[in-house]
Amino acid sequence: MSTYYASLFAEAGILLLGALSVYIILATGQLSLGNAAFMAIGAYLSSYLTVELGMPLTPALTVSAIAAGIIGVIVGFPALRLKGIYLAMATLGFGEMMRSFFINFPAMGGSGGFHGMAHISVGYIWAWAGGILVVLILVERSRVWLEMQAVHDDETAAGLVGLNTVAIKVGAFGIGAAVAAISGGLFAHHHVYIEPANFGFERSIDFVLATILGGSTLGLGSLIGAILLVFLPEFLRPIADWRLAAFGTLLILVLLVRRQGIVDRTLLRGLTFRKAAS
Amino acid sequence: MVNSNGKKSMLKVILNPSRLLGTLAVISLSAGSALAQAPEIALGAVVPSSGPFAEWGRSNSVTLKMLEKQTNDAGGINGAKLKITILDDGAKPAQAASSLRKLAGDEKVLAVAGPLTSSAAEVTFPVANEMKVVATSQASSKPGVAKLNRPWAFRNTIDEGMLAKTTVPYFKKAFNIKSVGIIFDAKDATAATVGKAIMPAALKANEIAIVNESDPLSFNTGDLDVSAQVTKLKSLNPDGVVVSADYSQAITVLREMKRQGLIKPVVGATQLISSAILKAAPEIPIIAPATFFATMKGEAAEKFVTNLQPLLRKESGLPAEIEPSMYDANIYEIVSMYIDAIKKSGVTGKPADVEADRAKIRDHLAKLEGFQGLGGPIGFNDDGDAIKAFYVLQGQNGAWDTKVRGCSSAPNHAGC
Repeated sequence: MSTYYASLFAEAGILLLGALSVYIILATGQLSLGNAAFMAIGAYLSSYLTVELGMPLTPALTVSAIAAGIIGVIVGFPALRLKGIYLAMATLGFGEMMRSFFINFPAMGGSGGFHGMAHISVGYIWAWAGGILVVLILVERSRVWLEMQAVHDDETAAGLVGLNTVAIKVGAFGIGAAVAAISGGLFAHHHVYIEPANFGFERSIDFVLATILGGSTLGLGSLIGAILLVFLPEFLRPIADWRLAAFGTLLILVLLVRRQGIVDRTLLRGLTFRKAAS
Repeated sequence: MVNSNGKKSMLKVILNPSRLLGTLAVISLSAGSALAQAPEIALGAVVPSSGPFAEWGRSNSVTLKMLEKQTNDAGGINGAKLKITILDDGAKPAQAASSLRKLAGDEKVLAVAGPLTSSAAEVTFPVANEMKVVATSQASSKPGVAKLNRPWAFRNTIDEGMLAKTTVPYFKKAFNIKSVGIIFDAKDATAATVGKAIMPAALKANEIAIVNESDPLSFNTGDLDVSAQVTKLKSLNPDGVVVSADYSQAITVLREMKRQGLIKPVVGATQLISSAILKAAPEIPIIAPATFFATMKGEAAEKFVTNLQPLLRKESGLPAEIEPSMYDANIYEIVSMYIDAIKKSGVTGKPADVEADRAKIRDHLAKLEGFQGLGGPIGFNDDGDAIKAFYVLQGQNGAWDTKVRGCSSAPNHAGC
């Protein structure tokens, strides 16, 4: 594999984790447009730990994920009062707040950015991305996921049958934030340079787009969405100036034909020759 | 001369469709094989043809196509045809890095012109070092970006810190400036660095007070309403205003200053140089440094503008009044320097020699002195930044005028 394709796979792995961070929160019926902020926390904290304190990357990513998870839980509590578009706007505000914080945080370079990280391989990125995806696919078959689905489908009914909806929703925010932080840490060490502009609104939109395009009812959908979002614009390079227009048109066409995203449970059953549960 | 038998056989070929097609096929195959056998020198470029800096990227592309045609029309490089592969990075650092990998790894280019922004250069230059291919930015001027990525990273630009040391004293003297207010684009890494670090240091060195030193005024790329920031600036009543932003964003600030009646001289960095900014508020004087501008005097610069301007207006898809920018001049000079290196340092262009050829280009650039650019001689300092002439320009009433000529000279290197 050429170094060019390796770099595209690295980008896809990083985007997959960002998309999964949105997917986990979305599984409880909450839409977050601020996950780039958690990515920024992971990127800056892991970079500080590896560059300034000399910590190896794997524990640095773990510490960053835990820290971002705690912040995610803190953000998740006020978000409990909000739903739908209001929650989306609140998380968007959180994203912009964090970006502004890092612009005015000279200890980590401020707007001038932060250097010094050691470059990581595509294999390391996919060890994290693939590992987290496999864990998520296993969790999707567990009782915990059914409880999250119950909250997603009808929060009031879920509460009436004795589910702790607060813990489920806040927990999803925390786990989603932790996964986004790992994505940020890998991004920082892949590109060996970070600046606040890397973690703006567009990044959060990329995460949501990958989730919705690939399929928002399965973790596997995020994988398909991430790969398409990274590779499709590259494969469209021969049409030069029209490639972004063609990319946008293809996205619209896909979503018109499959509103639920490319992959859903019905398609997956068809592909694996399984019968639907009666 | 064709004899009568020849004429008859030619006639037979023309009258017989199958023979005609066969002959045409043979001719086109031999022509194709001749083209395929012609040696080729492959260079690459990474420009933002889409995204926030698409205007510069698109005009860069037209500039490179013009240079490619000029070179090939003049016989190529040592008899080899020049091919420039141009990739769009959308001004996204990750795409710029991937593009460089594609150019160096898959296309096997000998050197790359670009990327344009400092943010993209920060991410792409380490890749240039990893892949051992020269990359030279046409616009990055954030301090120290090439220095961090030696020996393969170069910039055909001058550090903004160095330019501010000449720009600010002229600004002070020309307009009797004793105090300024600063407003900058916080989302743009170069603009924020100039607004928060470079300009404050240069202003203090020239004993100019910053009226909002403890209360920095900023906005974000893409903001359309800066009325609150300009109202605050106006209330502080400075003698002048530092606007640190890319020209398209600075236009928003200038229009608002004009709307609120804040007609005070403006100073900024190279990002302000454009013809469009002069139309936003013609009555506000703007002081900014540049290494090239479209109305620049001199044979090379005038010839460049004469050749490029009609092409830009015809092919770039940009507004009809588009003029060659400083970044068009810079990328033209970058590829011209690569061509010079290929001609003079024994580059073969053969696939087997690609690593050696790349090293020859790098070494040639590192030692380069007195290369004739559009605005005078060019060389590179030890940090990989250009040693070239620059001009402090004053823009007012629709035109840029040269006020000061300077040189980014460095110890132990030839000057301008």
